[in-house]
Amino acid sequence: MKLIAKLVTGAALSAMTIVSAAAEDARYAWYASTVHPYFDEVQKGVDKFSEDFGVEVTKRLGQDWTQDNQNENVAAMAAQGFNAFSIFPSDVSGARGLYEELAEQGVTIVDFGQATKEPTPAAFYVGTQLKEAAMLATEELIKSMGGKGNIINVLEVPGDNTRLRQEGVEEVVAKYPDVKIIQTVGDLSSIEDSVEKVQNAIAANLGNIDGMIATGYTPTVAIAQLLTEYHENGGERIHFYGIDTDAVVLDAIRAGHIDGTMAQNPFGHGYIPMVLLKKLSEGYKPREGVHSIDAGVVPVTADNIDTYQADISALTKNIIDNLDSKYLTN
Amino acid sequence: MFLTRLKSGKIITGAESGIIGAALILVILFTLSSDSFLTQYNLFNLTRTQSLYIFVALSQAVMLATGNMNLSVGAIAGLTAVIFGYSVDTLDLGWPLALLIALGVALLAGAFNGFVMTVLGVNSFIVSLSTLFIFTGFVYGISEGYSYREIPADFVRIGRGNFLGLPYLFYLMVGTLIAVWYMFRYTVFGRQVLATGSNLEAAKLSGINTGRIIMGANLLSAFFAGVGGLLWVSRLGSAQPAIGQNWLLISFAVAIIGGTALAGGRITAIGLFCGGLIMVLIKNGLILVQANVYFEQAFLGSIILLTILLDRAREVWSRKAGKS
Repeated sequence: MKLIAKLVTGAALSAMTIVSAAAEDARYAWYASTVHPYFDEVQKGVDKFSEDFGVEVTKRLGQDWTQDNQNENVAAMAAQGFNAFSIFPSDVSGARGLYEELAEQGVTIVDFGQATKEPTPAAFYVGTQLKEAAMLATEELIKSMGGKGNIINVLEVPGDNTRLRQEGVEEVVAKYPDVKIIQTVGDLSSIEDSVEKVQNAIAANLGNIDGMIATGYTPTVAIAQLLTEYHENGGERIHFYGIDTDAVVLDAIRAGHIDGTMAQNPFGHGYIPMVLLKKLSEGYKPREGVHSIDAGVVPVTADNIDTYQADISALTKNIIDNLDSKYLTN
Repeated sequence: MFLTRLKSGKIITGAESGIIGAALILVILFTLSSDSFLTQYNLFNLTRTQSLYIFVALSQAVMLATGNMNLSVGAIAGLTAVIFGYSVDTLDLGWPLALLIALGVALLAGAFNGFVMTVLGVNSFIVSLSTLFIFTGFVYGISEGYSYREIPADFVRIGRGNFLGLPYLFYLMVGTLIAVWYMFRYTVFGRQVLATGSNLEAAKLSGINTGRIIMGANLLSAFFAGVGGLLWVSRLGSAQPAIGQNWLLISFAVAIIGGTALAGGRITAIGLFCGGLIMVLIKNGLILVQANVYFEQAFLGSIILLTILLDRAREVWSRKAGKS
């Protein structure tokens, strides 16, 4: 009996030593595709994690949005010994090959911003639930339109995420018999394209548009500027909800030219994955069936434009407080 | 006088009449198929976008005319936009001074391209592909991806205002095209550009300093790209670092639809005007007919190809008719 107890105690101590070594050996890295205001906000969360936990995180930005570029850079970082990565996958399908190779080397990955297609070697995804965010934005738009009218649905570049957002908008519109999508505009990869196609869509449906919705960053910025000009020139009211909080968009909300935007939680997209990586290196494991962590969105309108940051911070705090009980197991 | 010159082909050549015809067919088609086409709002925006396209196309066409190309036109536009935004927003300079600084930087970029092409003798494709990355790096290095919003209202008025229902940009475009037409038809520099593009060796043997001509074309290309970038800032009301990212395709497509020869030696102002018009009409039309967004690029490419093929077929037929 004593022998068994010694063996169990020895095994437990060994396991603790191994876990502790793993935690000490963990080298943290954060990687995003390229320069973008969103990533600046995410990095603030990563920096706060470093400050709060006294852990060094090496941050790298790639040179462009391609998966090839990400593969080269992340593989080079892994070769330098980094073994705990928070990554924004450039291509949600294409990143899988890179992740599989990293996982074979014992590297732990948490996706942020957008989720790799499942099954994925990434332990978690932390970010906005795209379809749910699109649905919430559509609900807000329809509310601002008084529950009826015609909508133009503005999509970004074709892809898995855009498809999810489109489904979200269409599902909500289907619930309202007096609301109709009269045109869907898409393939908007640049600011110039966005401006041109949206103004063409306005021209094609002039006098018949009550609202517009954009679920991507670039078209949101373009439409904010377009509707500012349109309303300033006496155009009839077109309601609009977009996504993200670019300063141009916030200006248009303040001036009353657009109704609102969905603020994501980029601070949380930076902070939460790093805490998860730290916990995973300490021996925690993802709970069965849990992969996706919704970092939340907050609708921003003229009413809460100066206070919405507090709501965003509360979302992050709530998730961190519930990590052990909802997402991780020991 | 004008009609005599028109009839004699001194103002509109046979090649240009094909492009004009294609543009007219599209105008008639969209007028008949959509009530929205001839609205004031649509016409204003169509001509405004066309004007911006023309500056994009000119930045490529002047290089193509010399038998070279400039893949960095969009990056030069982005750089000009960011320098202008930084000057007025961060440095708080007056917009006329900021405009001069931004255009100065654009010309420096063009001079750099020209220097590497003419003095170091590197192929224009390789030079401008490299500088596309260099200038884009500067765009994001300076702006860190953020846009500059404090653009003076007077400057924004250029891109948003109108006279007699047409945007200011339209008049600016027409004035520029007249200057370009005059330059290539009546000035020594313009004729030497075409001679250099038609046959480099023959131009050299004729005593033309082709290096100087190619340098001049690079400066002009960068100037037009810079002006295009600034006009986009004026139109948007903010200086976005993403300005110019999609220019490469447009710069070639509008120039080539407009009759600019890829091999050099030919450029036409009226052709460019119609090329820009055809491009905006096609894009406008795809929205008007509610084309499936996932197939849109296929539609766009097919219509551009069809337009070019029709024009080339017209050229072949007229050549055959001339022989017989």
